[in-house]
Amino acid sequence: MIIKKIQIENFLCYYNEKSFHFEDGLNIILGENNEGKTKFFEAIEWLFNGTNTQLENLVSSKKFKEITFEESFKVSVSMVVENTNGEYKISRSFLVNKTKNNDIETRGLNFEGQETDLATGRRIPINGQELLNAIFPFQIREYSMFKGETELNIFENEEALPNLINLFSDAKPYQKYTDKSRFLRERAHQAVKESTEANQKNQRAYNILESEIFDLEREKERLNIFLSSTEDQKSKLEKNIKEAEKFVDNAEALSTINELIKKIEEKITYLNSKIDDNYTTSLFDEYWILQNFEPIHKEFVAKISEHSKRRRELQSQFDQQIGIRKGEEKAKAELINNIIPLPIGTPSKAHMEEMLHDEICKVCNREAKVGSEAYSYMMQRLTEYLETQKINDSELDTKETLFKFDYTNRLENLSISHEDNLKNIRLIETKIKDLFEFNDKKKKEIESLKEELEKQIKERERILGNSKIANEDKLLSIFKNYTSWQEDLKDLNKDFYDLEAKQKEILKKIESKKEDINKIDENSAVAHLLKTREILNDIENIFTDTKEKKFDEFITKLENKSNKYFGQINVEAFTGEIKFSKKRIGSDKVKIEISLYESGGRYFVPGTAVRTSLNISILLAISELANEENNETYPMIFDAPTSSFGETKTGNFLNLIYKTSNQKIILLKDFVATNKDNNTLFIKSEFNSINRKKAFWVKLERPFDDKDLSTMNTEVITL
Amino acid sequence: MENLFEKWKTRLPKYREVYKELFDLFSQKYGAEGEKKTDRGKHFSTHYELYIFAFFLGLYKNEFSPIQDGEKKTDFSQTIQYWGNKTSLIRKNFSGIQENIFTALIAKTEIDLVALEKGDLDEDEIVKQLIRSMESYTNGGLSIIKEKYEDSPNYFLQPTCFLNLILESSPS
Repeated sequence: MIIKKIQIENFLCYYNEKSFHFEDGLNIILGENNEGKTKFFEAIEWLFNGTNTQLENLVSSKKFKEITFEESFKVSVSMVVENTNGEYKISRSFLVNKTKNNDIETRGLNFEGQETDLATGRRIPINGQELLNAIFPFQIREYSMFKGETELNIFENEEALPNLINLFSDAKPYQKYTDKSRFLRERAHQAVKESTEANQKNQRAYNILESEIFDLEREKERLNIFLSSTEDQKSKLEKNIKEAEKFVDNAEALSTINELIKKIEEKITYLNSKIDDNYTTSLFDEYWILQNFEPIHKEFVAKISEHSKRRRELQSQFDQQIGIRKGEEKAKAELINNIIPLPIGTPSKAHMEEMLHDEICKVCNREAKVGSEAYSYMMQRLTEYLETQKINDSELDTKETLFKFDYTNRLENLSISHEDNLKNIRLIETKIKDLFEFNDKKKKEIESLKEELEKQIKERERILGNSKIANEDKLLSIFKNYTSWQEDLKDLNKDFYDLEAKQKEILKKIESKKEDINKIDENSAVAHLLKTREILNDIENIFTDTKEKKFDEFITKLENKSNKYFGQINVEAFTGEIKFSKKRIGSDKVKIEISLYESGGRYFVPGTAVRTSLNISILLAISELANEENNETYPMIFDAPTSSFGETKTGNFLNLIYKTSNQKIILLKDFVATNKDNNTLFIKSEFNSINRKKAFWVKLERPFDDKDLSTMNTEVITL
Repeated sequence: MENLFEKWKTRLPKYREVYKELFDLFSQKYGAEGEKKTDRGKHFSTHYELYIFAFFLGLYKNEFSPIQDGEKKTDFSQTIQYWGNKTSLIRKNFSGIQENIFTALIAKTEIDLVALEKGDLDEDEIVKQLIRSMESYTNGGLSIIKEKYEDSPNYFLQPTCFLNLILESSPS
C-alpha cells in the first residue's frame, strides 16, 4: 500500500485546501520548527484515530476569522491510498459554524471510506473504519507512525509486538489448528475417561487421582507465577547492576577522592586554627603595645630619681637648718665633697648586716675589715637606720617635718619593679617577628594544601565528567547500591533455583499421577479409544510446537533485520547488537524484550541517538518483514526522527532509507536555514545531494503575527 | 596611704564625644571574643581596649592634644582599675598595663611632687592633672585613628592594622 495523496483542509495552520502528492519510496517534508510539520503528522493521526471531542481545537483560526455569523466551512483530512487490490480514499471531516457570540460551533463528524472500481472508475462508499483496518491494520499502524524522539516508548507496550508477530508470522495459520487439536484431544480424553469410569471400581481411584492432579496443576500455576515474578525481579536487578557497573569504577574513585578531600580540608582547618592573627588582642594580652615604651620608662625613672634626689637634698638642707637630725648632719659631714647622702635604709638593713658580717662593702666591692674606716661607716649607717625605726615619744609631739607625705617611696618601688620588665619589653620585637614567621609558615602550608585541594577537586570533577551521571550524590548512591544489589541478586538466584526445583518435582508428580491414570485406562478402557487419544495428543503437540517455532523464527528474522539496519544507520559508530528475548508471562502469554548488548554479551544502556537508531531499525525491520510475510507493503511516517543525529548523519540516514523498499514520509527540520541578510528562510544546497523521490517544504506564509493564530497559513511547496 | 597610683585607678577618663563612632566601629561594647568579634569587623573586645590603644598611640607619636573646655565628653563607665583584669579561656589578664600608663603619665605630666609631699598641693589635684594628661594623649591617638580611617577605610580590614600603627609609631 502506498499513500498517493493527503489533503488537509482548514485543519489548524493548514488554511483552505493543501495537498501533498506522494510517490512510492522516500518522501521528505522539510520545515522549520512551528511552521506546520508536526501539524501534518497530527492531521494524519487525527484521520486514523480522531474522536468527536475538542474538535474546536482543530479549526484553522485564519479561516474562522474570515467567515461571518452563520456561515460555515469544512475541516477535513483525507488520504488516497493504493494497494494491489485498488485505490481507496478515507476522509474524516466536520463542519464549523460561527455563533452570534463569535464562538466556534462544530457538528457532523464524518469518517468515510470510498473504493474506486479500477475497471469502471466508479466510486463506492464504504465504512471508513472498516476500510482503514482492512488496508492498514492497526497492528502495523502502531509501528508505522513515529513521532519525534520524545515518544520513544513504542516498544513499551507488552502486547503490541506479540500481536504484530502473530499477525505477520507464519505462526498465525497454526493458531486455528492448535485450537482445534486441543479440542479434539480433550474430547478423546473425555471418551477414555467415561469408558473407564463405567467400571465402578475404577471410578473412585480415578477421582482421587484427578483431584490430586488438579491440586498439583494449581500448585504448578502458582509456582509459575512466582517463577515469572522472580525472573522479572532478577532481570531488573541484572539490568540495574549492569547499568551501575558503568559507573561503579567512577563511583569508587569518587568515594576515595572525597575521603582525601575531606582529610585535606580538615588539615587546612587545623592549620587555620593554629594561625594566631589576633594581632590586636596580642597588643594587650602579650603586652605588645609596650613595644615603644622603653624611652618613656627611662623618662619616668629619671624623673623619679631626680625627684628623690631633690627631696633628700631639701631634707638635708632642712635638717641642717633645723639641726634636729644629728645623724644626718654627721653623715653629711663625713661624706666626701659634701654630697647628698642616699636615703636612710639604703642599702637595706639585711644587706647592711650581710656586708658587715662578710667585712666587705658590696656596693663598692672593697674590703671593710673590722676596725677599718669603711667598716665603721657601714656600722654607723645601720645604727642610724635602726634609730629611725624607734618611736620617740617626744618626737611624735614636737617633730618639725619638711615633708608631710612620702609618695616617693611608692614611686621608687614602681620604678625598680618596672626595671625588670624592660627585659620583656625588649623581647617584644622578637616575639612579634617569631609569630609572623610562624604564621607565614602555616599560611604557606595552607597554600600548598589548598593547591592540592584544588587539584583533587579538579580530579573529582574529571571523574564526575567522565561519568554519565554528573550528580555526585547519585553516583555515590550507585556505589552504595551496587554492593547490596549484588547480594540481592545472589538471594534471588537461589530463590529461582529452589522454585525451579520445586516445579520440576511437581511436574514429575503430575507425570506420575497421569501414568497411574493411564494404567487404570489401559486396564479398563476400550483399546481403540486409547489409540485415538494418543494420536490426537501427538497432533496437538505438533501444531503447538510448530506454531511456537514459527513465532520464534519470526523473532529471529526480526532480530537479524533490525541489526542489519542498525549497523547501516550507525555506520562508523558504536552499535552493539540488538537482542529480542521472549519471556513467558503466565501460562499462555508472552512478551518480547528488546535490549542492546556489547560484544561479549555485556548489557548496554544506549544514549538518545543510539536508542533512536535502534527504534528506527526495528521499525524498518518490522516493515520489511511485514512486506515479506504478507506480500503487502505499508507506508511509514516519521516526524523528526533524527533530531539527535546532526545533519551529516541525517543525510546518511536518508540515503539509507531511500534504498529500502516501501514508502516513507519523513518530516525534518534539517536543511532549512535562515539568510542573515534578509532574514528569509532557504533550503540549503546540501539537500540536493539527498536521494529522494519527492520533497516538500512547509512554511508559514509571510508576514504573520507570532501572537495571532489567525495570521497563520502553512504553504506547501513542492521542491 | 600615700599612693597616687591607687587613687588614679579609681578614675573614669573621658574622651571627646565625636569619637564615639570610632568606638562603635572598632570595639564591642559589652565585650566579645572569637567569631562574634571578627564577624562584626570589630578589632577590640571592649571600649577600654581602644582607649588604651589610642593613649599609647598618642603617647608614642607625642600627639598631646588636650580636650578643649566646653567640648562634649563621654566615657564608658568603667574605672581604670577594671581595665584588662579579666582572664578567660582565650584572653589573658593585662591589668599590668595600668602601671605602664601610670608611669607614662608621671613621666609626661608636669606635676609638683615636692609640693604634694610637703602637703601644699592636694593629692586629688595631681590625679586630676594625670587624668587630663591621659585624656590629651588619648585624644591625640583617636584623632590619628580617625584621620587614617577617613583616608583609607580599607586599611582597617587587615588583621595587622592596629599592630602596624603601634610598630610604625616608633620614635626612631
